Amino acid sequence: MKNKLERLSPKIMAIPAWIFLAFFSIIPLIYVLSTSLTNSTLAQPFKDFVWFSNYKQAVLDENFKRSLTNTFVFAFVVTTLETLLGFLLAYAVRGIRGLSTILRSIALLPMFTPPVAVSMIWKLIYDPNSGLMNHYLMKWGLTKGLIAFLGDPKLAFPSIIFADLWQWTPFCFILCYAALQALPKAPFEAAEVDGASGWMVFRRLTLPLVLPQVIVVFLFKLLISLKVFDLVYMLTFGGPGNTTQVASFYIYRVAFKQFNTGYAAALSFLMLLIITIVATLVTKGREIIMRRSE
Amino acid sequence: MINKNIFSKIIGWVIAIIFLTIILLPIIYVAATSLKIPLEIRTSGSLFPQGGITFENWVKAFRNVPLTKYLFNSTVVAISSTIITLLIAVPTIYTVVRFKTGGAVLPSLILGTYVMPPIVVTVPIFAIIKTLGLQDTLVGLILVHSMMNIPLAFWLLDSYIRNIPVELEHAAWVDGYSKFDTLLKIVYPLIKPGVLSTGVVCLIMSWNEFLFALILTYSDASKTFPIGISQYIGEHGMQFGEMSAAALAGIIPIYIVVFIFSKNLVEGLGRSGVKG
Repeated sequence: MKNKLERLSPKIMAIPAWIFLAFFSIIPLIYVLSTSLTNSTLAQPFKDFVWFSNYKQAVLDENFKRSLTNTFVFAFVVTTLETLLGFLLAYAVRGIRGLSTILRSIALLPMFTPPVAVSMIWKLIYDPNSGLMNHYLMKWGLTKGLIAFLGDPKLAFPSIIFADLWQWTPFCFILCYAALQALPKAPFEAAEVDGASGWMVFRRLTLPLVLPQVIVVFLFKLLISLKVFDLVYMLTFGGPGNTTQVASFYIYRVAFKQFNTGYAAALSFLMLLIITIVATLVTKGREIIMRRSE
Repeated sequence: MINKNIFSKIIGWVIAIIFLTIILLPIIYVAATSLKIPLEIRTSGSLFPQGGITFENWVKAFRNVPLTKYLFNSTVVAISSTIITLLIAVPTIYTVVRFKTGGAVLPSLILGTYVMPPIVVTVPIFAIIKTLGLQDTLVGLILVHSMMNIPLAFWLLDSYIRNIPVELEHAAWVDGYSKFDTLLKIVYPLIKPGVLSTGVVCLIMSWNEFLFALILTYSDASKTFPIGISQYIGEHGMQFGEMSAAALAGIIPIYIVVFIFSKNLVEGLGRSGVKG
């Protein structure tokens, strides 16, 4: 009896994880797939089987296309900028040990600030009457009139991006810094003995060695960014018009404001499909880059 | 050569100070705004209060909205869900790494769940929680948050488990330890720093979580801090002073936790990214 238990214990340890998967992903995904073929509402799930008409509608839905485009533009823009900035910052301060320890503790703050609070802070900063941004732009004579950053169709999206940069660049900085610290010392000492220039060391040693890790940082943040919801919900509620509507937010509206859960299920499934394809492509791209840099 | 080193150090210092300022400026600004006189807030966005300091906004923030209740709810949800997450994630990652339980399927399913945007499963989760009769309760939200954080915990703990020399465990087995005992008495003490930093991250993620809390809680008895304060934007119009005070009331506990554990967090996050 005891032996059998001992033999099975690795499997027993994984049982909670299987329950988690069943509860959090397997059953929900089956639910999403099956309701996507119906005209379900929030109050009446599994109402009227309609085959693929929700998917037909989704493919023709301009709002959905717009929101998907916004999601991907947002995710790639913020992730690229944050990874790049984070890496450059980490590289710039790598030599000053004492300060960089303090800097890394402070850099933890933005990413752990509740997104709702981040949104409130930036809503305040961008406000035409009470905001820091307008106050100093006017005071220093950089602009003539008050700017409604979040109310202007052209500025709303960049304003959300800027808030995200504040929140996540420090995260990329911390990861890139750790990657730089973990580099082997020997090749750099050899390069110094050989009298290689700083640029040569960076170009030929640092960059190739650290690139795989930087790409991991990029991928990790990309996955976070594709889920963007909170900032949009709080800062603009998708507006003005539909200019800042992202996929998660559009699906939320269809499901929980219009109660059209059948259609929302179809949209969710399509979104998941597209994100999975993109994530796979990006991962494959990473492998190709890594093979080339070897 | 020495000149060049000093030069790059100075540049490093300047960049570090600019970076620090940009991180801290919005936080300082919101703290200053929470202390400004409401009239001043409506007309000026200067960084520091010009017309004196008042605690009026703080008093109003706690009076107009049951902020204390929200903060209490968030604390209960965050602590309980973190404990459940760790109880599930630690044995799972151990058995997956050490005994290859579930082959390649189990780990990729768990991490795949992390790729999935939470909005995809909100309707079914809402339905499941409703069927269980747990909508608008803390228990419901605790369950969902503990599930939500498992993939993250799995990711963060991975490198800690991998770094344990397997010989230690072999020795324990020879000494007659069962696999559960080995995990508890040999492995766990070694990965404690990792469990700690993972726990802190899960705690904060639950405290900050917005989407699930938004759809699963609707009365003051179960609303968490993010949902509670998001009302400042809707119902009360834009009272920036109160809003700043309320936001800070939820930020400060997190910042205290971050500062206490900052060494663990930097180390834990760094490892998760470095291992590749």
